[in-house]
Amino acid sequence: MKNDLKYVGKSIPIHDVKEKVSGKLKYAADMQLPGMLHGKLLLSSVAHGRIKKIDVSKAEALEGVVKIFTHENSPNTLYNSHKWFVGMEITKDERLFTDHVKFVGDRIAAVVAKDRFTAERAVNLIEIGYEELSVVVDPEEAINLEDYYIGQKKIESGSVHDVFSKASIIIEDSVETPKIHHAAMETHVCVASPGIHGDVTVWTPCQVVFQVRLIVAEVLGMPLNKVRAIKASMGGSFGGKGQPVLEPVCAFLAKAMNAPVKLQMDRTESIIGTRTRTATRGTIKTAVSEDGTILGRDIHMLVDTGAYYTNGDAVTMAMAKKAFRLYKIKDQRFVGDVVYTNTPIGGACRGYGSPQIHVLSEINMDNVARRLGMDPAELRLRNLVHPFDKDPINGPDLGNARAIDCVTEGMKVFDWKQKRLRPKTSGRIVRGVGMACATHGNGYHGGYQDFITMSLRMTEDGGVFLNSGIHDLGCGTVMTMKQIVAEVLDVEIDKILAPEGDTLVSPFDVAGTQASRVTFVCGSCAMKVAEQVKEKFIGCASKILQCSPEEVVMEAGEVWSSTSETVKYSYGKMITDIQSKFQDDISVSYTYTSPANPGVYAANFVEVEVDTLTGLVKVLDVLAVHDIGKAINPGFVEGQVQGAIQMGIGFALSEEIKVDRNGKISGDKFSKYHVINAPSMPDVKVLLIEEGEEHGPFGAKSIGEISTCAIAPAIVNAINAALDINITSLPVTPEKIIKALHEK
Amino acid sequence: MELIINVNDIEYKLDVNPRMRLLDVLRENLGLTGAKEGCGEGECGACTIIMDGLAINSCMVLAHQARGKKIITVEALEQDGEMDRLQEAFINNGAVQCGYCTPGMLMSCKALLMNNPNPTDEEIKIAIEGNLCRCTGYIKIVRAVKEAIQNQ
Repeated sequence: MKNDLKYVGKSIPIHDVKEKVSGKLKYAADMQLPGMLHGKLLLSSVAHGRIKKIDVSKAEALEGVVKIFTHENSPNTLYNSHKWFVGMEITKDERLFTDHVKFVGDRIAAVVAKDRFTAERAVNLIEIGYEELSVVVDPEEAINLEDYYIGQKKIESGSVHDVFSKASIIIEDSVETPKIHHAAMETHVCVASPGIHGDVTVWTPCQVVFQVRLIVAEVLGMPLNKVRAIKASMGGSFGGKGQPVLEPVCAFLAKAMNAPVKLQMDRTESIIGTRTRTATRGTIKTAVSEDGTILGRDIHMLVDTGAYYTNGDAVTMAMAKKAFRLYKIKDQRFVGDVVYTNTPIGGACRGYGSPQIHVLSEINMDNVARRLGMDPAELRLRNLVHPFDKDPINGPDLGNARAIDCVTEGMKVFDWKQKRLRPKTSGRIVRGVGMACATHGNGYHGGYQDFITMSLRMTEDGGVFLNSGIHDLGCGTVMTMKQIVAEVLDVEIDKILAPEGDTLVSPFDVAGTQASRVTFVCGSCAMKVAEQVKEKFIGCASKILQCSPEEVVMEAGEVWSSTSETVKYSYGKMITDIQSKFQDDISVSYTYTSPANPGVYAANFVEVEVDTLTGLVKVLDVLAVHDIGKAINPGFVEGQVQGAIQMGIGFALSEEIKVDRNGKISGDKFSKYHVINAPSMPDVKVLLIEEGEEHGPFGAKSIGEISTCAIAPAIVNAINAALDINITSLPVTPEKIIKALHEK
Repeated sequence: MELIINVNDIEYKLDVNPRMRLLDVLRENLGLTGAKEGCGEGECGACTIIMDGLAINSCMVLAHQARGKKIITVEALEQDGEMDRLQEAFINNGAVQCGYCTPGMLMSCKALLMNNPNPTDEEIKIAIEGNLCRCTGYIKIVRAVKEAIQNQ
C-alpha cells in the first residue's frame, strides 16, 4: 500500500461544517418557496380495520384549509417503497392513502392548508368511521395465518442433519430483538414543487435520489424524466430515510394543488409512521467439539416486517448471508420465516439485519464458551474466518478478512484476560466484561446490480468538478470523495466541487447510499475516474511540455516536465492551453461496476456495571476494533463508530417501540423512548486494523453499518457474565435483570 | 398580539398569534432557522436557545413568555466574522456530523461557559444531557467543549 499519502488518511472536517456550526445550512424543514402550502397527514388510530366513512366537512370548513386528500381522491397505485431500481420485481402492497388500515400509524389522509397550524388543527377535525378487524401483533401467531405469512428463505451449506445427529454438545438459545426507531434528530420531511412542463421537483433528505424519482414516477404514473429528485441536507437517516415515505405523497399533493407543498412529520409520526428496525425472534443451535470447534449450526429466524412488505425478505437474506461469513462453519443452515403483523413497518436500519443476526449468534457463542469453560474470545479465535477464505454458500470472497486481528489486538488493548478473570464482587454493584464479533458487507456485488457513473472535469482555473449522485448523510461522503480525488490529482481539497445527488444533473447511480457501498464502490469510482482524467491530462500536457507522458510531473496544482523543471504550469494554465491548442476538454465520464464484496469485521469489548438492586446498567468502557482496510478519513471513521455505539447501547438496553396486543403503540415519543444521552455514554476507544483491501480505494472498506453490529451482544454478554444469568431478550431493561436475578 | 422581543441584540416588534411558541417565531417570523424542531416536547434539545443567560428549549416556551427577555440564537455566535471558540472547537474536533443537533448543542454549551467558564467533564455532559445526538455518541462534542475551555 502507498504510505506517502497527502490527503487520504487525514482527518478533515465534514465539507459543510462551517454552515452547520453557524446555523446557516438549510434543511428541507427550513425551506420556504413562494406560495408554499403545508401538508399534514392523518394516521390511523386503530391497528386493523376498514374505513367505512370519512367525514372531512368540518376540517374543510376551517379557514385556511385548501384541500383534503383521502383514498377517495388519490391514486390507488400499489407500490413498494423498497424498490430502488427499475428492474426489481417485488410485492407491492402500499398506497398513498389507504381504506384498509393495517397498523396504528397507517396513512389515511392529508390536509393541505395555507399554514402549518391550520393543517394540524384540520387533521383533528376529520372524522373516521372504522370497521375494526382482528389484530395480530405476535409473529408467532402470524406465522400460522395465511393472510400474515409471507414466506421462507432457506440457505444450507453441508448437511446440518448429519452433524447434529452425531454431535454430543449442542447449545441452544432463543433471542428476541425489538423494533427500534432510527431517531435521526431531523424528523421525516419533504418539499415538492410542480413545474410548468407537467414535471415535479422533490427536495428530500434521502439516501437514493434515483429511488425517489422511481417511486414518485411509479405512483403518479409519470415518466422518469418528469420527476426531479434533489437530495436535501440530511439531518440524520441511519436507514430511516432510505425508503421514500413522504416523497410520493408530497409530490402528489404538489401536483394536485399545482403549488409547492411542504410535508413534515412530528416525532411521533416519525416513530410510528415511517420505518423501524425489523423485529426478530431467533433460535440457534450450535454443535461443538470439546475443544471449542464449531461442528455445525442451525439457525431459525422469525422476521416481523410489520404491516407492509417493504424489505421483509431482503433483510432476512441479509441476515442469512452474514451467518456464513464470520466463523468457519462447514455445515450450517439458516431458515427465515417472514410475517406481516399489525405493527409499524420494518425497513432499512443501520446494519440491515446484521445487528439482529449477531445478537443471536454472539449471545449463543458466549453460552457455548460458558458450557465449555472457555474464554469466549479464545472460542471465537478458534472459529473465526481467515483472510481470503471463501464463502461456503458461494457468496463473494471474503477478501482480506481481518477478524482474527480484531480480536487479538482488542484483547491486548482492552486487557481482556486480566479484566475477565478479575474476582467477582459480591456487593450491590457488580462489574463484568463482554465481547462480540460481527461482519458486514461492502455493497451489492453478488446480490444486486452495483454500478455508478461519475464524471470529472478539470476547470480552467485549476479546480476539479466531480459530478455524481452521492448523498452525504452526515457521515462525510462528500469529503471522502474529495480526499480520494485530491490524492489522485494532487490538488487542494478546497478546489474540488463535489455536489450531491440531483437526478436532473447527476450521472446515474444504481443504488445510492445503501449496503455500506459508498466508500468501497463509489469511492473506487471516484478514484478510477480521477485516474482516467489524470491520464488524459498528462497525455495532453506532455505534448505541450514536449516530453513523454512518463516525464510529466503533477504536484500540488502544478505540472511540469522532469526534463525541464524551471517551466512549471499551474493546472489551470495547462487546461487553458490544452483548450487553445487541441480544442479538448479534460473530462471523463466513467461507469464503475463493483467487482467484489469483501467482508468487514469488528470486535467490540465492553465493561459494564450493574446495580443489582435496581437492575440499572451502566456501560463504563467500550473498545471497538475494526478491520477497515484503510481509513480515508480517520476522524470520520471514529465518529461513525462512536455514534454507532450510542445506537447499539440503546438497542441493548433501552430502546423499543412497544406494541400491545391491540396494536397500540408506546414508546412513541422521546419522553417514552429512551435514546442514550451524554451522561450515559461511555468512553469509546476505536482501534483500526488497516491491512488494505484489493478493490477498495486506497485499500478502504466500509464502516457505517458494521460499527453498530457487535455492541449490543457484547453488552448483553457482559451483563450475563457479571450476574451469571442468561438474558436473551432485548432491550435488557432493569425489569428483566431483576426478574432474572430473582429466578437465579 | 403585539410582541416586543430582543433577539441577538435586535429589538423586534411583531404581531404574533398567542399560540405560537418561541421556536415558531424565531424560525418563521424572524427567519432564524438555526434552532430546529426535533420532538416538540423538550426532550431532544435541537431547539435550544439562550434566554436571559439560560439554555432553554424554545419549543417549550410560548413566544409571549419571551416578552422583554434577551434571546441569543446560534446565528449570533459568530461576531464580526469571527467564529465563537466553541464553533471553532466543534469544527476542529469533528464534533459535527449531520449537524441537526449542532445549533442546540452549541447553545447549551455556550450557556454553560457563560455561567461556568471552567466546567468539569461531568458538568459538560450534564449541560448537554437534554441535547440528543444520534451521530456522534457525544464524545467529540465533549472533547470540543474541553478544547474551547482551554482556548479561553
